[in-house]
Amino acid sequence: MEGHQSIVIAVFSTSSGIGKTITAINLAAEFAKEGYRACLVDLDLQFGDVMSYLKLPSGVTLADAQNALLRSPENFRITDFLTEYRHEDVSFFVLPPPRDVYDAYIIRISTIENIIYQLSGFNFIILDLPAVFSALNLAVLDLSTIINFIGVMDFLPAVKNYKVGYDTLLRFGYEEQKVRLVENRSDSQKFIRSRDVERLLGTKFYHRLPNDFPAVSKSIREGRPLMFAAPQSALTRSYWDLVGRYTGRPKSAKRPYEQKKPGAFMRFFGM
Amino acid sequence: MAERVILLEHDEDMAARLAAALRATSDFTLAATYHDAISALGKGGVFRPHLCLIDVENEDALEHLPDFAEHFPTATILGLMEEWNADTAERVLAAGGTGCILKPFQVQDLLDAIALYKRRGQPKPSRTLTFFSPKGRAGRTTLAAVLAIELARLSGESVALIDADLQFGDLSMFFDINPPHSIIDAAHDIKLLTPATFAPYFHPLGNNVWLLSSPDRPEYAELVDAEGLIEVIRMASNLFRFVLVDLPAGFSPISIALCEFADTDFLVTMINSGQEVRHVRRSMRMFALWESYGKHVHTIFTRVNPCTTEEKEKLERELGHPVSDILPNEYQMTAITGAGRLMKELPRDTLLIKIIGYMAEDIINGRR
Repeated sequence: MEGHQSIVIAVFSTSSGIGKTITAINLAAEFAKEGYRACLVDLDLQFGDVMSYLKLPSGVTLADAQNALLRSPENFRITDFLTEYRHEDVSFFVLPPPRDVYDAYIIRISTIENIIYQLSGFNFIILDLPAVFSALNLAVLDLSTIINFIGVMDFLPAVKNYKVGYDTLLRFGYEEQKVRLVENRSDSQKFIRSRDVERLLGTKFYHRLPNDFPAVSKSIREGRPLMFAAPQSALTRSYWDLVGRYTGRPKSAKRPYEQKKPGAFMRFFGM
Repeated sequence: MAERVILLEHDEDMAARLAAALRATSDFTLAATYHDAISALGKGGVFRPHLCLIDVENEDALEHLPDFAEHFPTATILGLMEEWNADTAERVLAAGGTGCILKPFQVQDLLDAIALYKRRGQPKPSRTLTFFSPKGRAGRTTLAAVLAIELARLSGESVALIDADLQFGDLSMFFDINPPHSIIDAAHDIKLLTPATFAPYFHPLGNNVWLLSSPDRPEYAELVDAEGLIEVIRMASNLFRFVLVDLPAGFSPISIALCEFADTDFLVTMINSGQEVRHVRRSMRMFALWESYGKHVHTIFTRVNPCTTEEKEKLERELGHPVSDILPNEYQMTAITGAGRLMKELPRDTLLIKIIGYMAEDIINGRR
């Protein structure tokens, strides 16, 4: 986007239920923790989970934002339609999807493009997308800086869909540099080895997220990002690492919240 | 032995052409030709026909079709039409006819059509069932595939699986096949097809189940619309007694149109993060509306643990709507479907497959 400083990270996949929303939330939280202004836009317009995973009330939504924008573009301020998530010293903003499933249909692509443009006050804009190549998804993938293309390689049809999705992204002309392949639940028990998947894809994963089902469950149950719900989890650390790669954080940096209470298990492995 | 045929054809020239075709073979004996339904019904009985060929483009003949089915209960009753008409074909099935064929025909066309309709099963209208889930990874495709296998096994009739998850359909992987045709080809060609020419678009999975697969590139999904897919399902209904359609996750013009078209919708959700009941509740408004029009809507929760009546009642309270079935997790299924061995290694002794078997029985017996 011309004249737009924000880094837009699309969290995309070609299967559901593989950790997109958890990834989007934790990216936003980790960016915020590092002092960046972060905004998370839930573009799963029908069945978005961001608000419930954070236990936030959907006061005003994207549907209200669109109404206001269409009614009076000159008076429109996107900040009026954002919901803040705040816990301890971490704060980031969320733009919720419409409350009603059927309102998903009235959201225009041009509205979303306009709104993302108006979020230029944020350093990072994270987009949580549904698993489909739709006109809306393609439009926002176009204006994204990075496509965080996430997958779980535990099931052969899912690997097929990941490969098909990656090939399609390249065929649609997205640069290889823009598409960052992220393997989720990379250490879970599975029949398929990551090495074989990489051979199939013809490229390496950019990042691997370990599996920690209890931590994710606790995070959803408590409505808090992993840094609060499970600070010692290897998954939490992995999100911190991923964000560090996006912000260019020096390798020597230490995680703030990890040092408070290192678990015996972590110490044993020298983590 | 030659099959005795009576022919009801209002157009004399056409009747002569058809008669000539039938006489050219020893497979059929033309017992009598009639030009009106009353004569055919009154006089045709003396010939105890095996096959009735009836000009169903004529409204009078079409209206009398149930009488033919009643008078000649053991006969094959084929409607004749010059151009394929899906509405008429449906009326023929609803009236107890066996199916339809284009006229004029060659003897081989007639033999092929009779074989296809025999394979289809009872001369009754098809059941069309769609499988919808708000989000993916709900066990939707597994339910559709297993139900297809069980419907075919328990009914002895033929079953079609149509993979309308156009971008990321997995059904061909569940059965480890690489079909030459996809649903996109079918929707593209459908206006030019008849049941006989459409049949090869389906890939045989064995045991009376056939698959029309999704395309191998997501962007091909752009090439079809809901209207074309509905024509595909209607044509498939002439070939299969049960037509099961696996949909993409979420509401889209296509998933809505196909759910609306089918006589039965399965709303499938996996219990996972705990947010799923909310998603079903949000989806329910649309389905409840269809239910009020007389459509069968079955709300299914998968991976319910423990899979007990108490758990089902708990889900019903949360949802505020009856839950049709709850299905337990079956850890083997991921490995079996992932390896494409669903047909070969269906674990029938597990609770999951047993429950789906009961669902199939209910569908066959018209209980759902």
